[in-house]
Amino acid sequence: MADSFTLPLRHIHEKRERPDTLPVEIAQINSQWGSFRDVNEEVLRQKMAEEADKDGVSEEDESDEDATDLDSTERLEQLYKRRTEITEFAMKAHMETLFALDFVSLLLSKQLPRQAETSISPYLKQIAPLGSLHAEVVNPPPKPASAAKDISVVSRGWRIQNFKAAANKLLQAASRLETEVAAETRYWNEVLAIKDKGWGICRSPRNGRNLAVQYGFLESTPIFRDRGLAPLHRAQDGSLHLDEGVVPSKASYVRVRVIQDGRLVGYSKPTRSALDGGDTIESRIRQARDTLFEEELFHELVREARAIASFGVTTRENLIEVPGSDDLEILLDLVDADEVQPEDGITRQGTTLAQGIGHAIGILLAYAHRQNLRRRSQIPPPLTPKKPSIPEYQLIRPVLTYIKHISDVRWVQSLLKDLFGVLQSAKLNPPAYTTKSFSIGKQAPAAHLPAVEAFVGQFLAPFESTFSGKILTPRGSFSIAVRTSLSSPPFGTSFNVSFNSPMYPDFKSPGHVSQRQEVEAAITHLLLLDVVFAIASNEPAKPKDDRDAQANRAWDPIYPQHGELLLSPSSPNSFKRRKMKVALSRDELSVEVYKVHCIDGTGRGNREKRDTKSTPSTWSSSAASPDQPSLMEFVTTELSRS
Amino acid sequence: MHEQSLFASVPVHQHHELLQQLAGLTAMQPRHCLERRLIFKAFRKPGLAGRTGASQDLQQGDLQRLNKMLNGNLYYTQVIGSVSEQDFGSTAQIDQDTQMAGTDNAERDGSPSSSYDYERQSWRLEFRDIPEAGTRSAVTSRFMSSAALPRGDVVQAMNAWGYNFVTEYVVEGDMFVHNGIAIFLHRVLHYPDGGDSNLPRQQLPALKDMTLLEKSGSYVLQAFIIVQDGSNQETMKTASQHLFGLREQLKPAVLLEQADRLSLDTRAK
Repeated sequence: MADSFTLPLRHIHEKRERPDTLPVEIAQINSQWGSFRDVNEEVLRQKMAEEADKDGVSEEDESDEDATDLDSTERLEQLYKRRTEITEFAMKAHMETLFALDFVSLLLSKQLPRQAETSISPYLKQIAPLGSLHAEVVNPPPKPASAAKDISVVSRGWRIQNFKAAANKLLQAASRLETEVAAETRYWNEVLAIKDKGWGICRSPRNGRNLAVQYGFLESTPIFRDRGLAPLHRAQDGSLHLDEGVVPSKASYVRVRVIQDGRLVGYSKPTRSALDGGDTIESRIRQARDTLFEEELFHELVREARAIASFGVTTRENLIEVPGSDDLEILLDLVDADEVQPEDGITRQGTTLAQGIGHAIGILLAYAHRQNLRRRSQIPPPLTPKKPSIPEYQLIRPVLTYIKHISDVRWVQSLLKDLFGVLQSAKLNPPAYTTKSFSIGKQAPAAHLPAVEAFVGQFLAPFESTFSGKILTPRGSFSIAVRTSLSSPPFGTSFNVSFNSPMYPDFKSPGHVSQRQEVEAAITHLLLLDVVFAIASNEPAKPKDDRDAQANRAWDPIYPQHGELLLSPSSPNSFKRRKMKVALSRDELSVEVYKVHCIDGTGRGNREKRDTKSTPSTWSSSAASPDQPSLMEFVTTELSRS
Repeated sequence: MHEQSLFASVPVHQHHELLQQLAGLTAMQPRHCLERRLIFKAFRKPGLAGRTGASQDLQQGDLQRLNKMLNGNLYYTQVIGSVSEQDFGSTAQIDQDTQMAGTDNAERDGSPSSSYDYERQSWRLEFRDIPEAGTRSAVTSRFMSSAALPRGDVVQAMNAWGYNFVTEYVVEGDMFVHNGIAIFLHRVLHYPDGGDSNLPRQQLPALKDMTLLEKSGSYVLQAFIIVQDGSNQETMKTASQHLFGLREQLKPAVLLEQADRLSLDTRAK
């Protein structure tokens, strides 16, 4: 029932029971403007023109006055004149007031002589004795009925007018209240909608009457943490809007660009297209959050880049250049999310790398935030005058470690592939090697850590990859461990090359080396020794009985480290010996046969002549032809030739 | 090192609310702590006090210092070991006397969750002096020191250093950290079987069997900050400013105030 209850506030216009409105008005016009008989178009036009003239003239007069009154002396005179006029007026008014005062005082002196005496002028006191004037109320003559009616009509009119004004005010207030309620409802609904989406709403610390939304990260550096709170203002219509002063106006992101051989091959796109969600308050908050995160990320990247300048990382005003490896360069900068990017020369691989790096540094920053919380939750260390410095987060270093590591691993892979390819082309059939990439350095499993943190924590540890395999020599093996670390010394990649070659016990493993050339040299050398051993241990497949003597002969690895083998002469009194030289490189395996004249086969220069009967043979993985004889066939033919 | 602290009493009905308020203030989740606390009392070793003669090799200053050390006040100290909830009420009674050292490991691996191993308990020694008298500041300030102890049985080592085991109790509570201040909301639990043993317990009873020291179950809120160098007035002032800041922030919830100095007296009489 209460809903339907309405109260009319406006005065209800009752039908006027006065049919004489028109005659009254006609009478009024008659008395004001004269008879209707004189009114025609001309008169009216004249009147209008007159009125227009009057307005124009007065305006012109004023302007004329302004123009002519430029003379200063005249102005001064006028000023004096006006001043005297004003003083005269004031004097007159003063006089009249005094007369009135005297009059009232004299009148009052009948009743209150003591009081009236103080305000009565001395002159009047002299000429008129106190109390000589008296006033009395006389009954006014009764007003005529018409006047009484007029008064009642006027007062009724006043009342109606006042009622009307009051009603208007009330109705205005009601409608204002209605819009206010609608606005408030909308405001609170939107606040609740934001809260339901999981954003933290709290009272604004600066202005206690406002609400604020928390979108920042509590574990950030204080300057970014404090920016993570924006007041929610209420617009006139009740819609929410974020405080423009705090919220970054434009969406920006850390762009990762990958430069390969001086050409841009990939860049990262903004992780979340902040603007595609329309202009809702939620998307604004999301954009603010993302931009704040990206700004903090860039801040921390610059901070770290300065600390690791020794790795060749350079910073400019708004750009970080990270030299990777193999002519790969990473550029990091903070740009607007809607910046137009060039599209030519972009490869899929480069884009994948750039996107991967973009995601990785974001994840690493989030990980650093968690570490901050962990550190903050510990019992604080004793207070000292020196402020503890916050270490730089590890953002670039893990990424750079990964790039360096993968490059070195690929290099080792290609080296082994080339070398084994060469051996296979010579039909030596080396055993396969195994690769164990990215075996993370051993860490004690921390049970109390959440899985996510333990997982990301692995990427901060040094990377390690191992290649191991067997060689042709029985019980022989090799292993190359590639270890890359940029967070703890020794910085960079180190290769741990170790051999197990029972045939050459003097041949020691080189151990830790840091140069690729050294690794290549060591592995090539090992395989050369292996090839020499294989040749030396090669038995002709079917030794014939009549060539027993020859069959017993074999290539003797005389200087295996030089790849030299010696074949003793067939007849004991001959000094001519044959020497085979084996050379192995990444590209080819070559074997040449020489004739030497000295007994130990060390002959060089004149004493060593190329055997004209046999042609030097070369195997390479690229130019392998199926009809080329294998190394062992070559060796056997050489053996039989002598 | 110096410890500055403020205390407040928190009735049990306010406990949950205060935990939430503190979590909001410090922006972290409470860290639940359970600690065994062993009380040791220093004793004067016979024959050491009042050393006379054979002191020609000592300088006057050294001698004075030595005498002061030997004849000065004796203090109670605490040995604190962190335990977890699983350590309480372990039913697997391992007979320490009959168990061989070699089988110990296997036993532990078999039932790691239900057994509390006294031999592997880590300890730390915490010393607190009586709060300084006559300080103008409105915080309780006292000299303190902390040191890690070897795992396992500490009584022998403590005896060798001149301390006798007196009693032990358990403290349960939640720890917060805010602005360099550690906020510890805790209460004291007693063992159900009283403290007639003159050695620390090898096994812990079930947590629910522990009795409260304060029967109403109210908590103590202690906010403390440790200063490395107590003689540095600047840092001491900073520390108390931090505490006052916290007191202002917590004023609507609890009233932090200085503790009665004599109630924190650790001197052995």
